[in-house]
Amino acid sequence: MIDLDVHLAAIRSGDADAFARWLAGAERPVRESLRSLAVHVDTESVLQEALLRAWQFASRVEPDGKPNGLLRYAVRIARNVAISELRKSRAKAVDPETLDASADPSPSAPPDPILRKAIDDCRSALPQKPAMALAARIESGGADADEVLAERLGMRPNTFLQNFTRARKMLAECLEGKGVAL
Amino acid sequence: MTSEEERESLIAAVTTAHRERGVRGEIKSHRAFHDLDDAGRAEAFDETLRARKIEAATDARGLSTTARAVLARIRGG
Repeated sequence: MIDLDVHLAAIRSGDADAFARWLAGAERPVRESLRSLAVHVDTESVLQEALLRAWQFASRVEPDGKPNGLLRYAVRIARNVAISELRKSRAKAVDPETLDASADPSPSAPPDPILRKAIDDCRSALPQKPAMALAARIESGGADADEVLAERLGMRPNTFLQNFTRARKMLAECLEGKGVAL
Repeated sequence: MTSEEERESLIAAVTTAHRERGVRGEIKSHRAFHDLDDAGRAEAFDETLRARKIEAATDARGLSTTARAVLARIRGG
């Protein structure tokens, strides 16, 4: 099993590059741990808040002899942030057993070069405007709102979203045709 | 737009990694999330998972747009 705690000492010393390496393996399992709450809270905002707190409070993680201590800590933070959001929105009660389902998360594997090649091939086959919308989202890295990206591309916000949706569907179909399941 | 196109656009909007900050610096939920029903929210979750896998697979450091947004907050304050 991959143990992301190999990055923990550097993260605790304030090394953001080490945190980036940890994030590459930790983001998906923390997100997956929020699946049962996805209809109640915006998991993207909960996840980002949890990952920021994991960085801020990494020094609180004490080794317990088991791997992925920081990842398990991040899952607990995400759960607590989500519960706080649930309370604010007064959403219907969620079974605590469901929330604890991902108590022992596994890091995701490093990116697969074959998958990367398949994605690159499928992206290059996209029509121009959907390809532009998809590229704008990826290149922005979450820094800009869609309205800003749309304006840069000379599109109305709804047109941008429609082009992005087309890109997503065509990419999924293309990858499926190559036998790639995401 | 038809209602199905509107629904797809809402789902597409929620899948972005961009989130506004509140007055106390907290990360706010996307406004489109609140316009989706339960099925749409579940679909947005799955679409976001797929999108992040694609983003990470094509990034030299294996980082998705979520990871890059978090790192930007850490580095930029």
